[in-house]
Amino acid sequence: MNEYPKPLPDINNDNKEFWSGCKAHELRFQKCRDCGHVRWPPSIICPACHSRETEWIVSSGKGTVYSFVIYHVAYHEGFKNDVPYVVADVELEEGPRLLTNIVDCPHENITCDMPAQVVWDDVTEDYSLPKFRPILP
Amino acid sequence: MGLRDKYAIVGIGYTPQGRVPGRTALSFHVEASANAIADAGLKAKDIDGIICYRAFPSASGEGPVTPYLASQHLGLSPTYMSQDANCSRSHIQHAVGVLDSGLCRYVVLSYGHNAFSSDSMRRMLLERNGDDAAFGHFGAAAGYALAARRAMHTFRTGPETWKHIAVGQRKWANLNPVATMHQRTMTFDDYYNSGWVVEPFRLFDNCLMSDGGRAVVITSAERARDLKHHPVLIMGMGQHNPSCDVHQALHLAGPTGAKKAAETAFGMAGITVDDVDACQIYDCFTYTVEITLQDYGFFGPGEGQDWFKGGTIEPGGRMPVNTSGGQLSEAYYMGLTPLSEASMQLMGRCGDRQLGPATKTPSPEVILCSDNGGVLQTHTCTILRRS
Repeated sequence: MNEYPKPLPDINNDNKEFWSGCKAHELRFQKCRDCGHVRWPPSIICPACHSRETEWIVSSGKGTVYSFVIYHVAYHEGFKNDVPYVVADVELEEGPRLLTNIVDCPHENITCDMPAQVVWDDVTEDYSLPKFRPILP
Repeated sequence: MGLRDKYAIVGIGYTPQGRVPGRTALSFHVEASANAIADAGLKAKDIDGIICYRAFPSASGEGPVTPYLASQHLGLSPTYMSQDANCSRSHIQHAVGVLDSGLCRYVVLSYGHNAFSSDSMRRMLLERNGDDAAFGHFGAAAGYALAARRAMHTFRTGPETWKHIAVGQRKWANLNPVATMHQRTMTFDDYYNSGWVVEPFRLFDNCLMSDGGRAVVITSAERARDLKHHPVLIMGMGQHNPSCDVHQALHLAGPTGAKKAAETAFGMAGITVDDVDACQIYDCFTYTVEITLQDYGFFGPGEGQDWFKGGTIEPGGRMPVNTSGGQLSEAYYMGLTPLSEASMQLMGRCGDRQLGPATKTPSPEVILCSDNGGVLQTHTCTILRRS
């Protein structure tokens, strides 16, 4: 079995719920029980109202591409077979934006504000990464 | 009593720059600072404040550059030392603040790095930025490229605009004997042929990685009168920091922090954008120059493409920008590339690239400078004038 050649997420007390959600193929975000703001990255307080009252919700996994770039250079050895590859900022319906990859789409067809849906990349036994595929009309 | 014209830049320190192998980052800080002190006509014993720009990860075989290490090597024991570092863009305000509060009288502000010849930048690129690395996202170019792509979606911009910035600044570098790209010309074709790095950025949209350092000395306008050069007066300053990282930022396509920062600076200076003779804009990427000038009010969103056309920012142009070649074509010394060039221009020490008759441009009275950090997360605007 080959070792996974790319960096993996660093799990800490703030983000462990998010990454265990990913393993279960769920995008989980914190929602403020007081003002309803859905936040990312995870935090001990709501940045909108400073409330500590928080619940975790499961996102629909649907959103739009806020912006995207195409890497033609591999800064890390693990990505050298992937170039050119796409890194994007996807805005979920619930509000938060995720730094992610766009997959299963010719690069020339990607545009800002195009609808996209989460797809799961089970990169190791313990880690699944949320990536996005355009929703075709 | 406001701060307008109360403090001044009085000395500028250079070092060998560009590709200078075999030197530590600390050695550039120390050399630049010593040269700035001497340039001002001061002695080490006069300097009682020290502020060092961000220290990048140390190269292999070097320890971190700290302000106390820099002080030790300069033989200083200052009464004020800033120990903040992380991508600070507020240093000139910091310096004025400690001078105005009486904590010290002469501040040296320095930057030094062996970015080209050491493995320091490579170490920084591979430093983790949260979990972005899991998706193959590293360094600053891609963050600014995300901002630039969003801007292309929001208003009329892209390589057709940015080529004017890359080529225009190169023309200034061709007049500057210490610019890294002094002997290399650039055409629009060269720009387009320079190859993608992180699309929509080509290689020539990116700033240089430079060995070397830069420093300035700042003191009161009153003390400045007794020193060697005509002091460069700090006319206005403003800062605004949208802070949100690129993931959540709503300011990527403007207004960035530049807008409010400039309003504050112009308010302090009591002038408008129409009074500005030239700009020295922090240019980590070409797009940064466009969005900064746009937010400063030189043109409306998407009007940059027409504004830059016809050599506006070049020698002979109506609004010279980054007259040393800037970070794209001279050398990258963080906020000190713009501040030091503005000061040299206002002191009239720029030789072939001197604003005025030598370059068929107006003789400068007022120069607008910018500095920003993170991915457009922080911004400082500084207005300098000739005394």
